[in-house]
Amino acid sequence: MAYFSGQEKTQNDFGASGVIMKNDELKKRLNAMPVPDPSKEAREKALHAAMAEFERLEKKDEKNIKGFSWFGRLKAKTFQRGPAMRKQLVYSVGLAFSLILVAIIIWPNFISYRKAASYKTMHKTAPAVKSAPPTLESGQAVKGKMPAADTIASAPVVKYARPPMETDWARQPAAPATGAAGSRKLALRAYSAEKEGRFSQPDQTYVGRDRFRTITANPVKLVRETPVSTFSIDVDTAAYAFVRRALHNGALPQKNAVRIEELINYFNYDYPGPGDRTVPFRATVGVFPTPWNPDTKLLHIGIKGFDIDPLKKPQANLVFLIDVSGSMKSPDKLPLLKNAFRMLVETLDPKDRVAIVVYAGAAGTVLEPTLVKEKGKIMAQLDRLSAGGSTAGGAGIRQAYALAEANFDPAGVNRVILATDGDFNVGIRNPEELKGFVERKRQTGVYLTVLGFGRGNYHDALMQTLAQNGNGIAAYIDTLNEARKVLVDEAHASLFPIAKDVKIQIEFNPAFVAEYRMIGYETRLLRREDFNNDRVDAGDVGAGHSVTAIYEITPAGSKGRRMDDLRYGRPEATTKIPMHANSAEYAFLKIRYKLPDAEESRLLTTPINSESEYQTLAKVPAEARFASAVAAFGQLLRGDPYLERFDYNDVITLAEKARGKDRFGYRAEFLNLVRLAKTARAMEDR
Amino acid sequence: MDNNNDIELVQLSLGGDALAFEHLVKRHYLTVYRLSYKWCGAKEDAEDIAQEVFVKLAQKLKLFGRRSSFKTWLYRITINTAKDFIRKCATKRGYETAFAGQQSITNPGPPLDDHLDVRQLYKALDNLPARQKAAVLLVFGEGMSHKEAARVLNCPEATVSWRIFQARKKLKTTLEHQV
Repeated sequence: MAYFSGQEKTQNDFGASGVIMKNDELKKRLNAMPVPDPSKEAREKALHAAMAEFERLEKKDEKNIKGFSWFGRLKAKTFQRGPAMRKQLVYSVGLAFSLILVAIIIWPNFISYRKAASYKTMHKTAPAVKSAPPTLESGQAVKGKMPAADTIASAPVVKYARPPMETDWARQPAAPATGAAGSRKLALRAYSAEKEGRFSQPDQTYVGRDRFRTITANPVKLVRETPVSTFSIDVDTAAYAFVRRALHNGALPQKNAVRIEELINYFNYDYPGPGDRTVPFRATVGVFPTPWNPDTKLLHIGIKGFDIDPLKKPQANLVFLIDVSGSMKSPDKLPLLKNAFRMLVETLDPKDRVAIVVYAGAAGTVLEPTLVKEKGKIMAQLDRLSAGGSTAGGAGIRQAYALAEANFDPAGVNRVILATDGDFNVGIRNPEELKGFVERKRQTGVYLTVLGFGRGNYHDALMQTLAQNGNGIAAYIDTLNEARKVLVDEAHASLFPIAKDVKIQIEFNPAFVAEYRMIGYETRLLRREDFNNDRVDAGDVGAGHSVTAIYEITPAGSKGRRMDDLRYGRPEATTKIPMHANSAEYAFLKIRYKLPDAEESRLLTTPINSESEYQTLAKVPAEARFASAVAAFGQLLRGDPYLERFDYNDVITLAEKARGKDRFGYRAEFLNLVRLAKTARAMEDR
Repeated sequence: MDNNNDIELVQLSLGGDALAFEHLVKRHYLTVYRLSYKWCGAKEDAEDIAQEVFVKLAQKLKLFGRRSSFKTWLYRITINTAKDFIRKCATKRGYETAFAGQQSITNPGPPLDDHLDVRQLYKALDNLPARQKAAVLLVFGEGMSHKEAARVLNCPEATVSWRIFQARKKLKTTLEHQV
């Protein structure tokens, strides 16, 4: 081929000759080309198509690889390529390997941090985007008013559902990541933290891929500095079942799975119930010597709700929202779930209504709201449920609530019961949006129960959050017996709330109490001002339910003091003159609650004084003693450093003497668990 | 730097952040559309190509190796998509250019009439083999250097220069023949 012969003339391959086009001419002509603006519709259409594809692929990935590590995630994504993309496979694999190195080192923290940053920054700069969490919108929808004059009224404008103390699982700082992305590593992280901790933790901890929020035990507080303790009651029982499962498998449960208040509240206590129906529950208080510490006392609060007359119970309008993803196949999941729901349906009245919505496998309504009169139809549909199938559409939680609302019975109880093994692909991908959705729906009067099944994928933190935000309870169903307990024996309590948003506030009297420590309820603490704020929601009490809370208090002048008085502080100046200076009160107890369909709260108060005191442990009612034994057990499992020499044997002794009637044998089972824990602990000591 | 922002958005998107992905799309839509338009010469086609490019972006995001800048990679996808698109619409395009050809013959105004000029240029560009066309559009349409264009097209710089050389020859011929 002839090249440059000094002239611009050349021969080209096509036979014609001519000069070559000049660079600038070409540039000029091309640049001068007017490009018409794209139409707005086309732009939008392109954006939507791209977003739809993005979301479709995200869903597909999540469905296939939930619970996997980053490596698995990358690999699974790579190998989803179809035959047409095979030639890209080499690139993908090479890419995957190089990214894995990055992933192991940087990405988990990077992504979880960036995710936090992204919600913040993106929402600031793009307020029009539909997935921004609508907290203000839901705040405006609340019809509630502030409580009346006898209480300290505070007037915040922004509604917040959970106190900032609680680690919000969607917004995490980079380091101790417990959010959705970091929580995959949580189990390992908690485990290694334990090894480094001062309190020797057993090596035999059940780790798995189950995800729990990190909990640090409540610290001891000085009454002079923090005289007031405020918290929301909790009737969830998931932690107990989870601990039981771990122990039955021969291992001690991971520390973060042990929520002591849930262990204590697993049991139904025979506290005195309310005298009349004007108040839905009654609170009993007791002060007695601490079983594990001769220098302190326990302040025990027991609340008992009235049970519903079975003949007069309200109608139930239930929607079962069931996870049918592939992972639900194992016998301790969907099959157990089906049995559990069958048992529940058997306890319902012919006039009650049941609907079934499935997600994460097939999707959508598989049973329209049906009267229990047609029990056969309901059971047949339950039988037909099977795990696996293609990716869900967008149905799921929205559909479930829609059905509950469509048949909303103002005089009855309307509830969505979500059953899952940890897959929350319920049709709202964004965790913040899911939480916000559940919060908004709470105001429509539809309650939520979250039932966890199985192991290895159990997303406890998310379950708890949804239940808390959605006016509901969370329970973990590991056996048929547990299913029976939650859905049959305690059906009334599980289904029918008698009081909602129940908050407790205690003010300790510095004249008699120097220090206090709340046992459990770390994830339920409220700010002091939240107590009077009706917009701050709290736990519910179910019919026939009992709720227990225990503080360990150090009486003034006791040698059990853990903290010295301030050298430079002036104790007299910092305490105001107690209101009831002449009566010997340990503390003052206030309880706020709302009737199930009310927006305004009501207040109960009672002083805690020597009338509630028992001088020796033997005189204390069995129920309170048993609760203390469970509290001790929980603290031992967690390795909390307040138990001195109290050990599992002491727990057994204390509990055995307080077994009471034990109609269903739950307390006997508890004793077995303590023995199992003792063995597990001994084995690691060897 | 722009590319850093792009990389950030890509990483966030890969982490599942839909908003980040939306930002990414909005950011680059116009560029993709304009290149598509210059490739095919018709607004509706360009819009279709652009849409297809961003859907592909969602699919291929995981493959972005960061060996090149994001924009380079996106250009590459655009050119490939445009090529495929044209191939699919070959018949349709044939009619259009024929019609355009007819127009210029029956209405031969002065050679510097922009409208005619554009049509002619499109026709001429269309007649180029796709690789030469790509090189020309990137270098002269988008103002890239040969080196940058080479990165987009995944070929050596010298190849780009060669293709441009060939293209310039051919274009001159075609344009001369049109008049």
